[in-house]
Amino acid sequence: MNILRIVGAFIKLNVQIALAYRSEALVQILLNLMWLGWELTSLAIIFSNTTELGGWGPAELIALLGVWRLVNTLMSIIVWPNTEKFNQGLRDGSLDYTFLQPANSQFLVSVSRIELWRLPDFIIALALILVGLAHSGRITSALNIISFLALMVSGFAVLYSLWIVMISITFWFTKFDNNVTILAALLDAGRFPAQVYPFWLRLLITFVIPIAVATTVPLQALRGDLAWWEIVGFLALGAASVLISSRLWKAGVRRYSGASA
Amino acid sequence: MQLETIPRVVYGSTSFVSVGGTHSSSPIIVEALSKTYKVTDREGGFGAAVKSFFKRTFKEVHAVQQVSFQIGQGEVVGFLGPNGAGKTTTLKMLSGLLYPTSGSARVLGYTPWERQPGYLRSMTLVMGQRNRLAWDVPAADSFLLNKAIYRISDADYAQTYRELDELLELGPISRKPVRNLSLGERMKCELAASLLHRPKVLFLDEPTIGLDVSAQTRIRAFLKEYNRRTGATIILTSHYMADVVALCERVIIIHHGRLKYDGALSDLSRRIAPYKIIAVHLGGCDDCALDAYGTVLPGEDESGRKRIQAPADQAPAITARLLAEQPVQDLTIEDPPIEDVIERAFNE
Repeated sequence: MNILRIVGAFIKLNVQIALAYRSEALVQILLNLMWLGWELTSLAIIFSNTTELGGWGPAELIALLGVWRLVNTLMSIIVWPNTEKFNQGLRDGSLDYTFLQPANSQFLVSVSRIELWRLPDFIIALALILVGLAHSGRITSALNIISFLALMVSGFAVLYSLWIVMISITFWFTKFDNNVTILAALLDAGRFPAQVYPFWLRLLITFVIPIAVATTVPLQALRGDLAWWEIVGFLALGAASVLISSRLWKAGVRRYSGASA
Repeated sequence: MQLETIPRVVYGSTSFVSVGGTHSSSPIIVEALSKTYKVTDREGGFGAAVKSFFKRTFKEVHAVQQVSFQIGQGEVVGFLGPNGAGKTTTLKMLSGLLYPTSGSARVLGYTPWERQPGYLRSMTLVMGQRNRLAWDVPAADSFLLNKAIYRISDADYAQTYRELDELLELGPISRKPVRNLSLGERMKCELAASLLHRPKVLFLDEPTIGLDVSAQTRIRAFLKEYNRRTGATIILTSHYMADVVALCERVIIIHHGRLKYDGALSDLSRRIAPYKIIAVHLGGCDDCALDAYGTVLPGEDESGRKRIQAPADQAPAITARLLAEQPVQDLTIEDPPIEDVIERAFNE
């Protein structure tokens, strides 16, 4: 399939870029460990005062931290670097070339930069999930694990779609350089279970800027807390957001080309 | 293959009239193409800025108006006009980046702005001021990315690369990170990246901008040879007269979005700017009477020389007189700048 060949070529290109900046790897790993230390310390401080947070125990929050880090790693590998590339392309006009290439433009702007030095973060994230689950004492079934994985994929699809929406909006408001700042800021809210937030904020981070969909929700499925219809609902939300965002992208591209007034 | 019938020149205040019948074989057919932009319009100053915040007024800018022309297979056409004339807008419509406000265009049988993959695979747009290569890695790595995107087979890629390498001497430069290349070297790589898929139609927007003279010459020689070998159709914009003279037998001039001239380049300079600029530096004679030799242009050029405008056919005789009669330290004879020629074309 040609899409895979293009992704392969982009990965190869980005491996070359990554190798050109070797010291970047060390800096990334050190920074990442520093943040991990800070995150675990703050969890320790919280649980020195209480035994649970919004119905979640310490081990489960470690697992949630892992899921949240998994999402952040994906964002750092794909989304943030491509945002930078997109904004730069819009400013200097090199985005023009993207639209003249015989491949889907949304796909091209989504995969042209891949920040490979963030890949080790995956290991830390997975370790946190496994350690957290092992200590939480909850027995999860194969079905729960499958729903967890499916909801992770669809949760990330929701966040990715939200990103597409935000960069598409840039076509209408060209000065919207900080197009993804809101997304980045609210992503931080996903570190804690949605249940700890007041009702209005919980609504905001579940449905408006659905960070919880990619963090709390998959973990709830893994704990077996979600009914089947809730799982189906969240999966449908993922599919719908991909469809809607790609339509908005197309409208944005038409706007960029001066097709609409 | 050259277009057999050179379109008749219809020059004047009216726009070009298409003659010679429709060439069904013409790869580029443009009819009454227009593009109007809506831009916010306000006067300068703080008050006007505040007023415009609450009540925005718009102005229509007619970037391209009713432009029609046809270009035959293998032709290299110079597309000229001052800044803001509508050249880039037209090239963007023809390459498919912009939708026109009205009018039609067919390039290789496609409507460009539908951006069908078949179309995108058979044309290329090169913009001298834009960068398509990845900055941090050698150009060769970006070439491979294009190979995947354009679905170029290994055999075709190897052959095309060999040919481009032979013409552009890519060998040593395609292995250095793009950020370490000189502007001229980078342009060679940009051109190579744009031509790997063997496009039949090339839109080149100022491909030699900012390059030094020798790099310009090399790019020019490459384009000429590429056109000879592949029979590709080329539309080129440039601010350098030398580019146009070296490459284009035919030029199209637009000004304020309207087509003003479509015809042979030789006719253009003969008809519109039949003069030369003689730049002289006279030793120890700051106010020698140069008026006797031709029209003295106001001011001096960047080397502090006086400039005399003289009819082209008399330039050799005038130069001889100058050298005989004045203490000349330095003298050059130049073509009038392309901007001046074009500017003249519109003022006529």
